[in-house]
Amino acid sequence: MENLLSNPAVHAGVAPFVVALIFVLLLQHMRLGGLAVVAAFCTAVYFVAGFTFTPLTATRKIILLGFAAPIIGLLADFAFKPTRIGAAVLALCAAAGALWAFWPVIAQKPAAEAWLLGISTLIAIAFLVGFALLYLAGDSVRAGAAGLGLGLATGITAILGASASYGSYGIALGAAAGAFLLPQMIAGKKSFAGATFTLSVTLTAGLVAAGAMILAKLAWYTLLVLALVPVGARLPVPGKAPVWLQAVLLSLYSFIIGGVACALAWRFPDGITG
Amino acid sequence: MTKLAIGLLALTLPLAAAAEVESYNIDPYHTVPYWETDHVGFATIRGRFDKPTGKFSIDRAAKTGTLEVVIQTATLSTGDPDRDNRKRTRDEHLRTADFFNVVEFPTLTYRSTAVKFKGDDPEVVEGNMTLLGVTRPVLLKILRWKCGPDPRTAGKRYQCGGNATGTFKRSDFGMKFGLPTAIGDEVTVWMSFYGFRT
Repeated sequence: MENLLSNPAVHAGVAPFVVALIFVLLLQHMRLGGLAVVAAFCTAVYFVAGFTFTPLTATRKIILLGFAAPIIGLLADFAFKPTRIGAAVLALCAAAGALWAFWPVIAQKPAAEAWLLGISTLIAIAFLVGFALLYLAGDSVRAGAAGLGLGLATGITAILGASASYGSYGIALGAAAGAFLLPQMIAGKKSFAGATFTLSVTLTAGLVAAGAMILAKLAWYTLLVLALVPVGARLPVPGKAPVWLQAVLLSLYSFIIGGVACALAWRFPDGITG
Repeated sequence: MTKLAIGLLALTLPLAAAAEVESYNIDPYHTVPYWETDHVGFATIRGRFDKPTGKFSIDRAAKTGTLEVVIQTATLSTGDPDRDNRKRTRDEHLRTADFFNVVEFPTLTYRSTAVKFKGDDPEVVEGNMTLLGVTRPVLLKILRWKCGPDPRTAGKRYQCGGNATGTFKRSDFGMKFGLPTAIGDEVTVWMSFYGFRT
């Protein structure tokens, strides 16, 4: 049992998936299935780093923001109507959160590098959150497929970027999205994603990917390609196709874009010019 | 005349006491902190940091001393600097937030709180190590200690040198990646050191 619990595949994949699946099954009828993301993320954090928050490092700020995202998502879902302005405001807040997490590190870098890292982070996070809230939050299958592709691609690129713990967090988010999709595929019925799921998965994955860039070796353009993964889940699928087929096709589209990010991280580990 | 002599003696007493304290600057080229820990339960992995800076002082009469060492964490090396056909080296991984997080925590420091003597020589240094922004007490045992004129300078420079060792749990400093079985929790430090008298 001890060997099983010390296995990185259990930390990052199996345990977060099982916990997320339990959350989805228990809470989806209350439109709270999106909380599976934070449950899976908590599970990975428990195994990888534990719940220590002093000193408040960039990684710990990512974890705190990952915990805050579903709370804000719940507020957005149940207290406000989804609007374009609301999505834009949340995207800006997410970018501000990223700045809070990474500014102390970015500020130590040479000016040119600091600008590149800072701008890449802000664009990636704001786009991920804004796009997902606008175009994916209303469709739980699209949102789930985007989360699956984004989480797994973030995890793999983070590992290639020399951070196995960030890799675990990314894969855990992908596992959560998989657990969110699975009951929909089996039941043939869509559930509710909303900001609770969409904000949680995109903000946390975006922060993890940005962390892998700033604190490890992920290239800035790989982060920008990762930010495009949810676009794959927006591509057209046959409207009358069964839910499982929609989920498979949309996940495939997301995997293709995520695969490009992984290929870039694999082929150019120090950047194209490095 | 007697009063004058007593007055002068009183004035020179603090100077005499101060003269007992010898101060040394650490030689960064011959002071090397090595560390070792268990690797996946099969073998011991070793690493080192290069060019630490700092100082120490010793008062043999009062049997007290101080020690301060500053290590640049980015100088970490486990003898794996080249990627060959791999995407990352072990040293690159050790520098990320999984382990030493050198971007956010570029230095590791050790500051003594007390030095215990055995005879005329320091035997144990009690102090605090700050790693990853966390400060915890770490005890260093001095295994070897010798002071004398540096033969490389024909005796013009006076030095002290020796070896010290200590252990700590990396999890106490928040470095938890790879626990409990992949990478050991207990880390042993072995430090060879030199200091030149200032």
